[in-house]
Amino acid sequence: MSTEEKPAAPRSLAEALRARDDASLAALLRSRPDLITPVPTDLTQLATRAGTRASVVRALERLDRFALQTAEALAVAADPASYGELLGLLAGDEGDPAVAAALPRALGVLREQALVWGGDDRLRLVRTARELLTPSPQHPSPTGLGPTVQEATAGMSPGRIQEILAAVGLPSTHDSVSAVAALGDLFTDRTRMAALLADLPEESREVLSRLVWGPPYGQVTHDPAPHLRRLLERGLLLPTAPGTVVLPREVALHLRAGRAHRTPEPVPPPVEVAATHRPQVVDATAAGQALAALTTVEELLKDWDEGGPAVLRAGGLSVRDLKRTAVALDVPEPVAAFWVELAYAAGLLASDGEADERYAATPAYDEWRELPAAERWARLAGAWLLATRTPGLVGGRDAKDRTLSALGPNLDRSAAPEVRHRVLALLAGLPEGAAPTEESVLARLAWERPRRREDDLRARLARWTLSEAELLGVTGRGALSAPGRALIGAPEAQHPAEPAQPEPAGPGDKLPVHHRTAPAPAPPSPAEQAAASAAAARLLAPLLPEPLDHVLLQADLTAVAPGPLERPLAEVLGVLADVESKGGATVYRFTPGSVRRALDAGRTAADLHAFLAAHSRTPVPQPLAYLIDDVARRHGQLRVGAASAYVRCDDDAALSEILADKRSAAMGLRRLAPTVLAAQADPAALLEGLRAMGFAPAAESAAGDVLIARVDAHRTPPRTAPEPVPDGPPVPDGTLLGAAIRAIRAGDLASTAPRKPGPGEDDRTADGELPRTSPAETLATVQAAVLTGEALWIGYVNAEGAASQRVVAPIRVEGGFVTAYDHTADEVRTYPLHRITGVAELADDAR
Amino acid sequence: MNGPLIVQSDKTLLLEVDHEQADDCRRAIAPFAELERAPEHIHTYRVTPLGLWNARAAGHDAEQVVDALVRYSRYPVPHALLVDIAETMDRYGRLTLSKHPAHGLVLTTTDRPVLEEVLKSKRITPLVGARIDPDTVVVHPSERGQIKQTLLKLGWPAEDLAGYVDGEAHPIELAEDGWALRPYQKQAVENFWHGGSGVVVLPCGAGKTLVGAGAMAQARSTTLILVTNTVSARQWKHELVRRTSLTEDEIGEYSGTRKEIRPVTIATYQVLTTKRKGVYPHLELFDSRDWGLIVYDEVHLLPAPVFKFTADLQARRRLGLTATLVREDGRESDVFSLIGPKRFDAPWKEIEAQGYIAPADCVEVRVNLTDSERLAYATAETEEKYRFCATTDTKRKVTEAIVRRFAGQQVLVIGQYIDQLDELGEHLGAPVIKGETSNAQREKLFESFRQGEISVLVVSKVANFSIDLPEATVAIQVSGTFGSRQEEAQRLGRVLRPKADGHQAHFYSVVARDTIDQDFAAHRQRFLAEQGYAYRIVDADELLAES
Repeated sequence: MSTEEKPAAPRSLAEALRARDDASLAALLRSRPDLITPVPTDLTQLATRAGTRASVVRALERLDRFALQTAEALAVAADPASYGELLGLLAGDEGDPAVAAALPRALGVLREQALVWGGDDRLRLVRTARELLTPSPQHPSPTGLGPTVQEATAGMSPGRIQEILAAVGLPSTHDSVSAVAALGDLFTDRTRMAALLADLPEESREVLSRLVWGPPYGQVTHDPAPHLRRLLERGLLLPTAPGTVVLPREVALHLRAGRAHRTPEPVPPPVEVAATHRPQVVDATAAGQALAALTTVEELLKDWDEGGPAVLRAGGLSVRDLKRTAVALDVPEPVAAFWVELAYAAGLLASDGEADERYAATPAYDEWRELPAAERWARLAGAWLLATRTPGLVGGRDAKDRTLSALGPNLDRSAAPEVRHRVLALLAGLPEGAAPTEESVLARLAWERPRRREDDLRARLARWTLSEAELLGVTGRGALSAPGRALIGAPEAQHPAEPAQPEPAGPGDKLPVHHRTAPAPAPPSPAEQAAASAAAARLLAPLLPEPLDHVLLQADLTAVAPGPLERPLAEVLGVLADVESKGGATVYRFTPGSVRRALDAGRTAADLHAFLAAHSRTPVPQPLAYLIDDVARRHGQLRVGAASAYVRCDDDAALSEILADKRSAAMGLRRLAPTVLAAQADPAALLEGLRAMGFAPAAESAAGDVLIARVDAHRTPPRTAPEPVPDGPPVPDGTLLGAAIRAIRAGDLASTAPRKPGPGEDDRTADGELPRTSPAETLATVQAAVLTGEALWIGYVNAEGAASQRVVAPIRVEGGFVTAYDHTADEVRTYPLHRITGVAELADDAR
Repeated sequence: MNGPLIVQSDKTLLLEVDHEQADDCRRAIAPFAELERAPEHIHTYRVTPLGLWNARAAGHDAEQVVDALVRYSRYPVPHALLVDIAETMDRYGRLTLSKHPAHGLVLTTTDRPVLEEVLKSKRITPLVGARIDPDTVVVHPSERGQIKQTLLKLGWPAEDLAGYVDGEAHPIELAEDGWALRPYQKQAVENFWHGGSGVVVLPCGAGKTLVGAGAMAQARSTTLILVTNTVSARQWKHELVRRTSLTEDEIGEYSGTRKEIRPVTIATYQVLTTKRKGVYPHLELFDSRDWGLIVYDEVHLLPAPVFKFTADLQARRRLGLTATLVREDGRESDVFSLIGPKRFDAPWKEIEAQGYIAPADCVEVRVNLTDSERLAYATAETEEKYRFCATTDTKRKVTEAIVRRFAGQQVLVIGQYIDQLDELGEHLGAPVIKGETSNAQREKLFESFRQGEISVLVVSKVANFSIDLPEATVAIQVSGTFGSRQEEAQRLGRVLRPKADGHQAHFYSVVARDTIDQDFAAHRQRFLAEQGYAYRIVDADELLAES
């Protein structure tokens, strides 16, 4: 790369940015969107912001493993470093063609992200990144390298440095700076260094080899063994703290043949193919699963049609409801959680927001149901792809150790859409019909985001993505289906002969370095997704089986629908028969109960016969026809209704007369039998009305007796008689008396016990009055009593404010409480110290 | 993709029988899937772990199973199901029982963690001895059956390669003069012999006795035959004398009345399970000779104690014969682990189509209770309800009408309640066979029924099993053991034997409408409908009006 194009090498990141063209600045801002919120005023501010710790950490986290390794290598190299030095660190002395090929790209990424600036001769890592990545005792670097000789000898006495020079056979220098430089030169000189090391005993070399790949720190005793001492003398190990030594970076690099990383990973690990299926098989399997997904969601919401499960107070579905749903859907609980969350993410179900909050289908569900199957699927799949909610977490625990419930809070993981998209994109990169191994997908993801592995969330998300994609029919047999491919907006299936990506010829500071059409790292916007979903639906539609308009009826009272049914047919059949088995086909069973349900729904036996005859490919079996007739025969034989009162009369002419009379209209009369009328009016109103019409009705009791109407018979509901309030207490029994006497005696003891005058208490306190002592005195007296085991006389105010006097024997005092045996109550009690108003010792003669 | 098979997510397989590939498909899935229902259009098979292990025991592997499903399936087979099948089948054979030259019976594994897992189980610990090496553990020879049973329950069925003792040799030949084993019988014998031990499932009337005889002729050794009752024992003896080179003197009967032990001994379950003072005195029968083959007739009725004895007989060849593997007590897995896997089965309809069993016309007649009976039924105690509705008077009238209609044909009236049968016998002028009828009397009546001297016979449930009434063309069932499915199968079997004159068989079930009798009938009838025998339902009034 010639320098003629560049008038001058940039002196700062800001200058480097200023030299960039618009496309390359756009690339920077696209990959680090945090830099433009808010939009910086100028490039200097942009550069400053790009150098802030938070932003750099974020950018580093988004680097792939090799770019990160490149940055790490730069962090251990001199600042600035040349391209050659960097290549040497990454590829080692022997060179590595793969690294050499990949380095321009990695460097390009770092430059694009403004983590590295400067020309190839003066590559500079942004200072913050350097601080983050440079090895230090607190933050060991993934390189496993220690500090440089210069850093490690910073606090060393000049004399000691000169001794090291002498030990390695270098001439002494005037000052420490040149001495350290000379030592550094020696350590970086491969030939001289080899000679130096060859001179060492085997044991010493063994020590070095143990530290070479890190961690570079070792412990030494106060009096090191001879082989260690030789290393220390020659500066091959340098002391960092008492008892601790470090292998200087230069020595380690020499021993590593120049490599900063044990295993540079210049190329992403390939996604390995576990099995290859015919694309037709994949698409068919996926389509089958897609259909199953639709049925499952519909079944789920139908199940919740009449009152879904209640919403927990903290939000979400209770474990029991999830279990029940899992049983109803005949799937394991995690899978049930997935379907529930999917329906939620697609806006098909939500909480109803009533006082007694429950989950129910939304109006959008009804619209969704009207869509063709392929579009229904696309809606679900599109919602799944963009959702940040992660059903895989359900059943786990959050940071506060609360169970994470389905539909509940804290299920959002912002990385989810990106990981989902990325996993599917990786699948899309495989040849058609190829299913990857899970490990290789995970390894690839780990390579792409090595810094984000702390909680393993990405790996878990990826695993969930693979299983959920299979459930949803985005993949079939583990391979991405054609609709699945369209769903993520990937181009038509790639054929094995993939055109080689034109790699940028060499590194350059001027971007665009590369504008590859790699899969977008971020998931698409909702609008893009909608377009992709529509395309997916178009691809899926022909793969789904045509809905059938017929079933096969059999003599064992089953109907088999050998495929999906047209909706109206399925609905009627769902009422008329119970579903026994689901899948590609549906098996229905007719039972008396199911037929009755259809009759209850307003169908007649004739309707049902006609319906079955119309939709059966085979003659309707006689037992089935008989079953319908048999149930219909008894259906509605008994009639149930509500009435408030009745009129009965043995003379049906009289009843006809009442019915014919216009005045009876208000009573809501209906003839149930020749001699019985049912009324909506209550008995009193009925009696009144009939009397007004000139009849003389009599009221009847529930048992059918005539009620004799007397004068005002208004009554209250059942009430208990009031408890008598006696003048005095009831006569006590023996036990009560005994207890009372004991209590009285103890109280007596408390009030009459002659006591020593309290400290600071004057003689005015008459006997029987509450002693008043200061809290400090109270405490001291009580503590003393604990030691002596003596009883005390205390004044005490209880929680209600009632004052009393007690004689107590304190047992212990702690935390502001006195635990004491209360002679008055004859039990051990605890008194808050602050409620004790005063305390006095008992006079000796009262003990 | 337009195959005849639909694979459901609940692991049932629906086979469209009218499809051109249906036969091929049936053959492909039969080894691992149990035929559950065989109504007219769509047969339902079920894939169970037991079935998959059966297939493994018979030498099929997961690849074949998956291939069969994928090849014939109309819709894509759920991936999870395929994975599950492969995993389930993979569990079989991780553990094997075999003979070790030095240590005797040993349990070995190809997968050490599995052995560790099962050895941790409390139920396995008492059955095994010393650990010879990390993969092998000694099993007490007497616990061979027990350990198989337990391992199956733990989900790691063991493959039994420990072999069989030959037993005491005894020459037995089939005397195929003027008859020959039917192709399916031959196939059944062959499959059984190849597999070593196991169960042959054939419909009633399809000649299970001959399969037994064929197996004996293969084994050529002393044989112990276990049957349900004395009548059945006599029939076995009769049939064996007629069909094989065995003579009367070589066949012994070991029952309540006779205790003969001969090279071929036929014993009843009842005598074996008789317990006196807490012990089974007749168990020595198993050790009294060096049996080379043990035949269990009506495996589905095998009483629990016999399972226990069978556990100790694992070194001998065992043949189970049955019309159905359905056990009302759900002990199918014990049959699998102790007697052996299913070695052969053929659906009823298929054998009927080959003309070996008679086609049957099944009719359910619904009678109405009279008003007073309805009232009495409503007030009857719960435990009396069934008896009450099953013995309603109206049934008698209907039964009489049916008997009249088939005058001149051989009619069996079968019922549960003795007083009902006595009354019917009286009205029909027919002899009644019940528990108290002596065996001699029973055989006499059977013989005269066979000869056509009497044309109507009323029997209680004592005649449910293994009686051979070749000329019965009509069976009328007036009451049954609640909803017992296998009883229904047996009773239908009474009329399914091929008729000399090609008469169609008729099977009538008389049921009281709107009572639990009808519910029980529905349960039984469902079983038959699932076997492909469609019921017609007629009202008693209609039937009475016709005649």
